[in-house]
Amino acid sequence: MAQPGGGRDWVARLHLPTLGVMLVIAAVWSLLSWRYGAYVLPSPASVVRGFGEILATGEVWTHTGASLYRILVGFGGAVGLAVLMGLAAFLSPRARGVVHDVLAVLNATSVFVWIVISIIWFGLSNWAPIFTTFMITLPVVASNIVEGVENVDRRLLEMGDVYRLPGREKFRSIVIPSTLPYLVAGMKVGFGLALKVSVVAEIFGVTSGIGYIMNYSREILETQMVFVWALVMILVMMVTDKLVFDAVSRRLARWR
Amino acid sequence: MAVKLQVSGVGKDYLIPVIDTVSFSVEAGEFVCLLGPNGCGKTTLLRIIGGLEPATRGAVLLDDRPVVAGDVHTRKVGVVFQEDRLLPWMTLAENVALVLKPLGVPAAERRAIARRHLGLAGLAGFEGYYPGRVSGGMRQRAAIARALAIEPDVLLMDEPFGALDAQNRRIMQTEVRRIWQQTGRTILFVTHSIEEAVAIGTTLLMMSARPSRLRELIRNDGRVERAKLIDDLNTMIMEEVERQQGGASA
Ligand SMILES: Nc1ncnc2c1ncn2[C@@H]1O[C@H](COP(=O)(O)OP(=O)(O)O)[C@@H](O)[C@H]1O
Ligand SMILES: [Mg+2]
Repeated sequence: MAQPGGGRDWVARLHLPTLGVMLVIAAVWSLLSWRYGAYVLPSPASVVRGFGEILATGEVWTHTGASLYRILVGFGGAVGLAVLMGLAAFLSPRARGVVHDVLAVLNATSVFVWIVISIIWFGLSNWAPIFTTFMITLPVVASNIVEGVENVDRRLLEMGDVYRLPGREKFRSIVIPSTLPYLVAGMKVGFGLALKVSVVAEIFGVTSGIGYIMNYSREILETQMVFVWALVMILVMMVTDKLVFDAVSRRLARWR
Repeated sequence: MAVKLQVSGVGKDYLIPVIDTVSFSVEAGEFVCLLGPNGCGKTTLLRIIGGLEPATRGAVLLDDRPVVAGDVHTRKVGVVFQEDRLLPWMTLAENVALVLKPLGVPAAERRAIARRHLGLAGLAGFEGYYPGRVSGGMRQRAAIARALAIEPDVLLMDEPFGALDAQNRRIMQTEVRRIWQQTGRTILFVTHSIEEAVAIGTTLLMMSARPSRLRELIRNDGRVERAKLIDDLNTMIMEEVERQQGGASA
């Protein structure tokens, strides 16, 4: 029983079918690269080489660090404000209506609007990508928190009333634990969005970050570096997902 | 004996009148079972008595003081709902210990009391389990342990064994009866099972069809033979169910 199960688990863990598909893609990619030339499509080998280079020079950390810093400030601020909005929605039905309307408007606003506005307001500085990230991730995280707050089981709150738990205790023992999974889910989606959006915003006006260096690589005709930095982005995304969000979700679900 | 609970002229209207008027009084240490057809307002009455719902008419006195809805902060009333209402992210022991906090019990003592009451409810060894990891019967017993842990003057129970199978139900009835005998609490127990009421109650209240009144108050002191009592109650409830259905279709 354990043997075949373990075997299948091993196959699943390595994602063997995915690996196979990727090998096929790499082969087709090599072929196309050879046919159209390195400017249009650099070969897989040159991408791997480029990745080795930025690892060796440490350049990878400079630009990833710059991007992550902007994400942490913009996204962190969004999470902070989202929590406050959730709190307001919990405390007052009127505030809940306002929060809903504000989020609907923010949700309907394009990334490009914020990029242009942030350049006008903050010029060519760190604050432009930070502000864009903030405005784009805020509605995603806040919508989740508000939904969580609205889904707090009223019957559990009533139980709290029966046993005369003070408001603070009800908040700590009932509201927070039932909202936390929504917050984490919102942060997971929000962080992914933050990474994608901040990189776009970095095309304009800053001189560091993954978005900047990708665009710069394109300008100096080093197409393989565009691919290398795309790879870095994907890795950052997957690593934070696995190391941060999966771990937190698992910890939150330990009572299930 | 002292009157613990006085329900005088209590009525409740939602969109339709649910409870017409109900009056009765309960002495300290009584085990009152509330019977009646589905939807006649048993849960509503219990919630009014527990201060969870305002009455449209009448008043409830607990220890001669009026129960005000929303102001459940003055007296010790334990409520066991139809569902267990345990916090799924807390262990059984943490769930019980939580409700001792507002009473100002120190942490170590809270844990000890939780252990003791879970033990009384037959849950020794399961203190560290999360509710999702134990059976429905065990969850309901934990909810009862939680209600008893605050040593309530009055314990209100709303069909607490509704979700249990026959065997667990029997066990829990014996358990609650034993706890009642040991602690001398006043218990108000809603059930739709006549056998259950006759087996555990000292006083049986039969409510009529909606809008409900008190149809019958029976002292279950063994003077009337059990089988006959069950028969009589069955007849009554059939009549009331019929009347309620007739009223609904009319
Ligand atoms: N919050 C409420 N709003 C409107 N109607 C309600 C509400 N609570 C209960 N009712 C109605 O009151 C009647 C009695 O309900 P309930 O007290 O739960 O009956 P029972 O517990 O005897 O089955 C039902 O018809 C139910 O639909
Ligand atoms: Mg009911």
